[in-house]
Amino acid sequence: MTRPARLENAILTAPLVVFLLLLLGFPTILDLVYAVSEVRFETLRSPSFAGLSNFTAVLGDPEFWRATWFSLRFAIVTALAECALGLFLAVYLAPLLRRAPWLLAILIMPMIVAPAMMGLMYRLVLHEFIGPLPNLLYAWFGTSPGFLTAQNVFTTIVVIETLQWTPFALLLFHMAYQSIPEDIREAAAVDGTRSWRLLTRIELPLMLPTIGVALFVRFIDGFRVFDNIWTLTGTGPGGSTTSLAIYIYVAFFRAGEIGEAVAASIMLFGAAFVLLFAAARWSTRGVR
Amino acid sequence: MTIRQTMIGIAGLTALCAGSVNAEVTVLGWPGGPEEEALRVVAEIYNARPEVAEEDRVDLLFFGRDGFFDKLQADLAAGSDAFDVNLLATYSIGRYAPYMEPVELSDQAEDVFGETVLSTMRFEDTQYGVPTDLSMHFLFYRQDLIDALLADDTARETYATISEEYLGEAMEPVAPDEMTWRDFAATALYFTAAVNPDSPVRYGTVLQMKNLLFNIMVFQSLPRAYGGDWMDDEGNITVDSDAYREGLELYKLLYDAGATPPDSLSYEFPEANAAFTSGQVAMMVQWSGAAGALLDTDAAPVTAEATRSVAPPAGPEGRFTHIHGLGLGLNANAQNPEGAKAFLEWLSTEEAAVEYARAGGAPGLTGTAIEAVAEERPDLVPLGEYASDYGYVMTGATGANALSVYELQAREFTGYWGGSQDLDATLSATADGMADLLKD
Repeated sequence: MTRPARLENAILTAPLVVFLLLLLGFPTILDLVYAVSEVRFETLRSPSFAGLSNFTAVLGDPEFWRATWFSLRFAIVTALAECALGLFLAVYLAPLLRRAPWLLAILIMPMIVAPAMMGLMYRLVLHEFIGPLPNLLYAWFGTSPGFLTAQNVFTTIVVIETLQWTPFALLLFHMAYQSIPEDIREAAAVDGTRSWRLLTRIELPLMLPTIGVALFVRFIDGFRVFDNIWTLTGTGPGGSTTSLAIYIYVAFFRAGEIGEAVAASIMLFGAAFVLLFAAARWSTRGVR
Repeated sequence: MTIRQTMIGIAGLTALCAGSVNAEVTVLGWPGGPEEEALRVVAEIYNARPEVAEEDRVDLLFFGRDGFFDKLQADLAAGSDAFDVNLLATYSIGRYAPYMEPVELSDQAEDVFGETVLSTMRFEDTQYGVPTDLSMHFLFYRQDLIDALLADDTARETYATISEEYLGEAMEPVAPDEMTWRDFAATALYFTAAVNPDSPVRYGTVLQMKNLLFNIMVFQSLPRAYGGDWMDDEGNITVDSDAYREGLELYKLLYDAGATPPDSLSYEFPEANAAFTSGQVAMMVQWSGAAGALLDTDAAPVTAEATRSVAPPAGPEGRFTHIHGLGLGLNANAQNPEGAKAFLEWLSTEEAAVEYARAGGAPGLTGTAIEAVAEERPDLVPLGEYASDYGYVMTGATGANALSVYELQAREFTGYWGGSQDLDATLSATADGMADLLKD
């Protein structure tokens, strides 16, 4: 590249670089400073160096591990449920969607709703006295379970998350299923392959990369869950629905433990980075 | 136009704009409710006063309620001068005090609000705000149901049987204004279909048990009636006490017996109101701010006509209601502190308080101020009366970490009510956490 061209490129990209430095660089540096500082709202402008004490405090906090376990459990269960259901629907509804593709637009509508709105909506839907679901159950069976009791709340929020995000998995799997060349299916049919064998031995292996991506995306989304749980149950009875994101929010804004909250978020970032790196390596290897 | 002329023009315009920003008192109020409406009215009245200079007129600023106090804290901590006067709440004064200046009240303030209400805006004996709205708790109940219970001998026998089974003694039903917390529990159990199949309603009460700090404010009048407090005079944490034990166990007994809906662990203000107005709940302890909706026949067609309210039930130490106030105080970084002080001083006069009440606010008033609005706002009469007679603020509950203490109690207490930990562990963890939060 000639010197004038390099200069031109530098001038043209400078605004973007400055923008990114301001938008991402400054908060990142500030986060790193706060993570190793004793800092509260009163001392935002004069943090004092505290070494790694915030990290050790977070790692020694049973609530942090409880929140991590909640997020992990929630992410695994919802990712598996969404992908299993999405895969089933993609295969089961394939003939119907081939004839009436507009149905797909209706099926993916739950994805459009903001997660916070979803939480608020279910606050109404599940309310014993004004919610349609408990009212129907009372009308039909004379009773209704407590959907948000300490015993049932995890199942309820898993179901809500699954209902909202299964369409995402359905969309991916539908596309993957449709992209399998028809001649492969025809060749299998000519060889007398039965439907179940066609699905398990030919179609699913061809969809495997998409399944992996869907599981990974849904796991990440489930792990960082915040909005719908926060608006539906908050931190839950005894903190039973405190996800890692909620833990960080509460530590930052409610407890004013800014250093610890930032330290927890940095650890979350580190864990996510390792996971993403591993996933990227895995997918690259898959391509090779 | 030359560059020089352009620059001069821009500088002039900038100065003009800056001048117009400074030439007002910006008030950050509590948005989206009767408080906003009332503040708009009194601001108009204040601005129309001839002695108020143009540069001291009040301009109002509102943003959403959701996360309001978190956003306000971030603004204040960042040294924002976007507002001169900002909202305060009793439970957050200690947190905001480092970023605020004390205020001076008018000579009439003590006669208008009374000492108890003024103290809701104090931190470490310093007045940081003018009280505007007062919140406390009432016991709302269905008069028709209670009357039927009191008049029916068979019902009284059932009541005695149920109270003996659940509370260990055969009790007689009493009128709501004579109720102790044990009477409240016995009455709630009597009106619970799971306990008494003949109950005319599904639940005896509706408890707000969500892991939320405001719900602990509703709950804590119960242990307070048994002598409970956060700390003693020496600063020792006293939450691990018989009083808190009694209160927590009574709530759990009612929850486990089905006297409150099973989803009560996710209930807060609106859910409890919805349950009560459905007609399937006999009584509940609820925020005074709910009175308007609960007594309005349009908003609560099934229950409004039969709904009455009294002060919360009593305990061995007396009858208590948690009180807290919303108010307005002075931002330490105010651009127009003198104008802001003048407005706040006027806000503490009888004229301003009465107009605020007439416009829909809920100030706790006494003396001639309450007499002036009693006819138009009968719901405000018990506010001042109950605040004086039964109002309390827990020791330490205006401190810098008061909100965190409420958060801690909410997490631990709901854990016990939800069955994930036992009472000893709950009180021990709460006491340890409070000692850490209130050690200064």
